[in-house]
Amino acid sequence: MWKFILRRVLIMIPQLFILSIIVFAMAKAMPGDALSGKVMDPGISPERIEELRDQMGLNDPMHTQYIRWISNVAQGDFGQSYTHKTKVMNVIEDRVWQTVYLSLFTVIIIYALAIPLGILSGRYNDTWIDKAITGYTYVGFATPTFIFGLIVLFLFGFTLDLFPTGGTVSSKVDEGTFAYFLSKLNHMVLPAFSAALISTVGVVQYLRSEVVDNKLKDYVRTARSKGIPESKVYSRHILRNSFLPIAAFLGYEITGLIGGSIIIETIFSYPGIGQLFVTSISLRDFSVVTALVMLTGFATLLGTLLSDIILSAVDPRIRIE
Amino acid sequence: MTLLKVEDLKVHFPIRGGFFRTVVDHVRAVDGVSFELEEGETYGLVGESGSGKSTTGKAIVKLNKVTSGKILFEGQDIANYSSRQIKPYRRDIQMIFQDPYSSLNPKKRVLDIIAEPLRNFERHSPGEEKKIIQDYLDKVGLSPDSIYKYPHEFSGGQRQRIGIARSLTLKPKLIIADEPVSALDVSVQAQVLNFLQDLQEEFKLTYLFVGHDLGVIRHMCDRMGVMYRGRLVEEGTSKEIYNNPQHIYTKRLIAAIPDLEPSVREEKAIARQKVSEEYEQSYSKYFDEKGRAYDLKPISTTHRVALP
Amino acid sequence: MFLYKYYTNINENELIETFFTKLLKSSQKLYKLKLNYQKIIYFIEKVVIKLGGTSMEKPIIQIENLTTSFRIKDHYHAAVDNVSFSVNENEIVAVVGESGCGKSALALSIMQLHSKDRTKMEGAINFKGKNLLPLNEAQLNKVRGKEMGMIFQEPLTALNPLMMVGKQIEENLDYHTKLSKEQKKTRTLELLSQVGIPYPELTYKQYPHELSGGMRQRVMISIAIACNPDLIIADEPTTALDVTIQAQILDLLKSIQQKTQMGIILITHDLSVVAEVADKIVVMYAGQVVETGTVREILKNPLHPYTKSLLHSIPSAITDKSRLHVIEGIVPSIAKMDRVGCRFKERISWIPEEAHEHSPELHEVETGHWVRCTCYQHFHFQDEKGEMITHDIT
Repeated sequence: MWKFILRRVLIMIPQLFILSIIVFAMAKAMPGDALSGKVMDPGISPERIEELRDQMGLNDPMHTQYIRWISNVAQGDFGQSYTHKTKVMNVIEDRVWQTVYLSLFTVIIIYALAIPLGILSGRYNDTWIDKAITGYTYVGFATPTFIFGLIVLFLFGFTLDLFPTGGTVSSKVDEGTFAYFLSKLNHMVLPAFSAALISTVGVVQYLRSEVVDNKLKDYVRTARSKGIPESKVYSRHILRNSFLPIAAFLGYEITGLIGGSIIIETIFSYPGIGQLFVTSISLRDFSVVTALVMLTGFATLLGTLLSDIILSAVDPRIRIE
Repeated sequence: MTLLKVEDLKVHFPIRGGFFRTVVDHVRAVDGVSFELEEGETYGLVGESGSGKSTTGKAIVKLNKVTSGKILFEGQDIANYSSRQIKPYRRDIQMIFQDPYSSLNPKKRVLDIIAEPLRNFERHSPGEEKKIIQDYLDKVGLSPDSIYKYPHEFSGGQRQRIGIARSLTLKPKLIIADEPVSALDVSVQAQVLNFLQDLQEEFKLTYLFVGHDLGVIRHMCDRMGVMYRGRLVEEGTSKEIYNNPQHIYTKRLIAAIPDLEPSVREEKAIARQKVSEEYEQSYSKYFDEKGRAYDLKPISTTHRVALP
Repeated sequence: MFLYKYYTNINENELIETFFTKLLKSSQKLYKLKLNYQKIIYFIEKVVIKLGGTSMEKPIIQIENLTTSFRIKDHYHAAVDNVSFSVNENEIVAVVGESGCGKSALALSIMQLHSKDRTKMEGAINFKGKNLLPLNEAQLNKVRGKEMGMIFQEPLTALNPLMMVGKQIEENLDYHTKLSKEQKKTRTLELLSQVGIPYPELTYKQYPHELSGGMRQRVMISIAIACNPDLIIADEPTTALDVTIQAQILDLLKSIQQKTQMGIILITHDLSVVAEVADKIVVMYAGQVVETGTVREILKNPLHPYTKSLLHSIPSAITDKSRLHVIEGIVPSIAKMDRVGCRFKERISWIPEEAHEHSPELHEVETGHWVRCTCYQHFHFQDEKGEMITHDIT
């Protein structure tokens, strides 16, 4: 097992390397650079801009720029953010925790909702419970996140004024108090719920189809032939076996945790990584963009590894020696 | 005329392990098998699961990669032929598979299933093709209007017959039947086995029957080879193997066959016990230190046994 | 005692005490004698039964007119049609038939493992004197696993792939016994070695996919016998196994039966397996019992056309390479079956209509040998030329 993990971690290094090259190439391929967007001083002459470019090293050959960049990255320095005028790491640091909290909250809601719904739907399939839940999944699947988010925002935020419509925390509370925590939670409710309600559908469907499949399996019949009461047949055999694919997906959730949801954060004006991503692209802030892509890439690789580990822990048939 | 001669055939599957996934060992599925088939005869390859009999059959049809050894078909060694070189031979060697429920593509109609081999090698107009297919369906006892049906509309025995029709379309010389009746009921088995016998006469076929049901093999085959752990331990005519088994593994196999005569029950149980003890004691005599059976040595013109 | 009193002048009270003590002791002795006497009588009975094979045997289960119907498109169709037979202690009853005859449906019906919303069952299943059919799930669960065990055909799918094999055996003990954790583990290891598994400690921790087919079936057997049931239903236990492993498993079942005197219902399509181990045969066709009797009787003197045809289709019965007998036609599907009249009629079309009964009943041709439909009296084989031939099984 450890050999497997070690091997995977070692393979991640060249993977990250290739990722960084791709990211760098894409960033450089985008038209314009940090100085062609907003110009600080409208009176600066084009020659001066060229000089600045030279100074900042933007006219050096590609590989030089790349090596400079990658060696900085290895030390944790992603460079300067042109728009925010601080180190990229600082910018990210500020926001990454907001995203993590929001994603965590969303994931908790997703599983808290999806698991009971999936189980109910699978256990009582072809009854009205199942039809209602499946109907909900169809609607959820068809609804685009941004429309749903906007509707929720409009309805609960503006019209009914139940929840705040932007930001992470209200400015009237002090840090460290319980009220602060509550306020934070308050601000997360709308974005989290609108994201969750749409994302539960995948988990519900998976769980439902697994339960429906497993109900008919032979080993369930064997369990019944042992005289085990139906509730225990469900908990010990059917449900435990149905959670396999869900366990596998758990690893992937990590990716979302760090990457955040661009749409939700933009709609709800939630200052997280997702929003940062969008604004950085439009402002041509390469350093931030490349840093974020690297981060997300790393999170994906990690998530895949975690998925595999969890799956082999849970399913003895694919245990890797 | 010797149609097929297998010489020291070996099929090894690599096992990868260790940190760098290097090949650490091999699964010796087929470890040195040699036998001959005359034209028109039926040879049975018998063994339990894991003995390598299916792998041997599949290797001859080139569904498994041959690690070493020769497969001489009509004098030509096809063991290491590439897929391009083997193409003409595919007309002559065909296979019938074990599971009638999964060996037919459920999304294809019977017409397409049976015509597929034909379309790979010959060109016929759709009308001609249809006629040929209906001809074969008639030969296997299915009605001609089944050509537009799907496999799921047929029973297991009928599906197996479709598989047989499919293998006949190219007029092969050798058919390898991999446990063709073990998934079928007794009365359906009888039907399919009878068909196979009739077809053998009509089309002058040579059969290599692979299976574990000794009753079926005994009924169908002139000669049999008993395989154990990738090697042949005994070979002879069906009568010789049944009435005079020499190798302890063959003896154990024969003793385990249940008899239709209930009054010999207790006798048989005692005989089984005795054979099992003999097996334990004489194991080292019949198998070498690595657990491999020895080479076959003839003890009569047709009977060969793996003795040290 | 009175003389004693006179001669020794013992206190009267003491005497009475001694008297009653002695009375008690002698009555205890008498009681023990009675018990021993009963034991002796019981023993003599058993010897007599073994010697004479009389019908003084106690049936463990009596299936009476069991009909199991499945709902297909709003209609109920009987897959098990009015089946009756019984199983005694220390007896193996083989239910034989091919696919579509209803034997698997029968096996699951005895334990009522069919899904409730699509199945209807009628008749009676008298298990140790009590009818199981009207019981609810909770009551049935007390019987399943504890007094009745089941062995399934394909052990790889019948065992939970994510659970350790030892734990699956223990599960049976969890719900039916009050043993402590250590006691359950000990019992499980005991069971594993009883079924012939060489390293019980090791196997306990393994998963089903890590074991061979024979080992898996042994695990299934130990699950079924864990609570010492009185009846085991074995649904084609050796069909998926090699012939040498099959022999071992059958020997194992017999030896367990010797020790526990349990009854076994063996469902199979392999007549030679039946000949090896069974005491009685019940031959099923299209949901009905068509012939039943002792194994020796039926195999020596089969009467029903189906039984006869089946015996002739088996390759091992015929020693040379002649043609196998083929039963023309196919098994009727339960939805489209003709429920009136002899169901085997179409497959022996050369036998005239009058030979068959209109509603065929089971007739007792000899003691214990029952055949359905009078067509057996007029049955003969027919070869391709249409001539009458009678085969003898050599």
